[in-house]
Amino acid sequence: MKRMIGVALLAVTGLALLSGCKKDPLQNMTEDESRIYITNRDSTAAFASYKTYSIVDSVSVIDNNRLTEKGTTSWDLQVLTAVRNAMQARGYMRVANTQSPDLGINVSRLYNTTTNVVNFNDYYGGYGGYYDPYYWGYSGYGYNFPSYGIYQSTEAALSIDLLDLKNASANRTIKGVWNGLIRGSGIFRSTAVQSQVQALFDQSPYIKTVQ
Amino acid sequence: MKFIKISIALFAFMISATAVQAQKGKTRLSLGYNVGLPMGSFKDNVSETSVRGFKADVLHGINDKLSIGFGTGYQDFYQKNPRQLYKLSDGSDISAVVSHSIQTIPLLAMAKYSFTPGAAVQPYAALGVGGNLVSYTELLGEFGQEQAKFGFAARPEAGVYIPFKKTGEAGLTIGASYNVMPFNQDAFSNLNHLGLHAGVTIPLRK
Repeated sequence: MKRMIGVALLAVTGLALLSGCKKDPLQNMTEDESRIYITNRDSTAAFASYKTYSIVDSVSVIDNNRLTEKGTTSWDLQVLTAVRNAMQARGYMRVANTQSPDLGINVSRLYNTTTNVVNFNDYYGGYGGYYDPYYWGYSGYGYNFPSYGIYQSTEAALSIDLLDLKNASANRTIKGVWNGLIRGSGIFRSTAVQSQVQALFDQSPYIKTVQ
Repeated sequence: MKFIKISIALFAFMISATAVQAQKGKTRLSLGYNVGLPMGSFKDNVSETSVRGFKADVLHGINDKLSIGFGTGYQDFYQKNPRQLYKLSDGSDISAVVSHSIQTIPLLAMAKYSFTPGAAVQPYAALGVGGNLVSYTELLGEFGQEQAKFGFAARPEAGVYIPFKKTGEAGLTIGASYNVMPFNQDAFSNLNHLGLHAGVTIPLRK
């Protein structure tokens, strides 16, 4: 009987070692694999109709849905350069914000330290506070993001917004026509900024024009 | 009709055969290591063989061939897919590494039939039917939530029992089972998998 108990104990110990564990997907993931790239667009926007663009010269740091800083860290500047390179590659011509660009591009770093959740409804709700429409030459206009932005993130996020300035007067609003989001671990530490931004554009082949 | 009559007669004979009183009135625990191989459409989503699992049952001998009781087990399935672009219904595109982590715990009413009780090698067939506790996680990158579900499970199995000693009540059990587990979630319609198990069987009381 003792021998049987011994065998049983040995078997149970063996089973515990062999099968007791669950392979945790979060523990089996690199930072690169943790990141997701989300793009969305206004399906009515004709991207080929835009010829010129202007991009902000700093990245808005939005903490708890409040603009806290206009970031110009080397990482921020790399992001802006990567967006400029991508837009140029797609045929768009960069002009100053005072030269009536067809598209405006805002870039934001989003954090939420109190709840650790970035709510993109809140982000777009406070958009006029982060980006004064006057910068784009449309003082008094509101922003309008038609069909996207309902995402929650437990990590910080990078958001890139393309704004339709060409039709702002006709629409009497500054309409968001494209949004690119990067979420996941290590976004702001990564040295692969160029490839991350490029990934957003790679999955958005419709952003292109001919001069 | 004749075939059914013969089958019933044969079954009655098998159940009533009392050549060796090997397990009548005895309660025995079988505990084994189990490997799970996804089958059918489950394999389309999770192709990796699960080497993290066990299988257990506690069965009471009604007679020397038939025993009934409770069966359970645990199997952990995991798969990480290469980065891919997914088009969502709201028009957005998401590039993500999608991972699946699925744990199954069947809770089954079981019946087991031993064909040659008392022999050195005793083939058996068993069937378990009951519920299935499922923990399911689909992650896009690092984003997603674990969900608990309860469904149906059936587990037909076959194998051999090899007693350690000729007259002993403990021994090795080796066999295979087919786990039928309907499960409708995301791209999944079932978690059907083939189980291969090896373990020990011991008496719980004299």
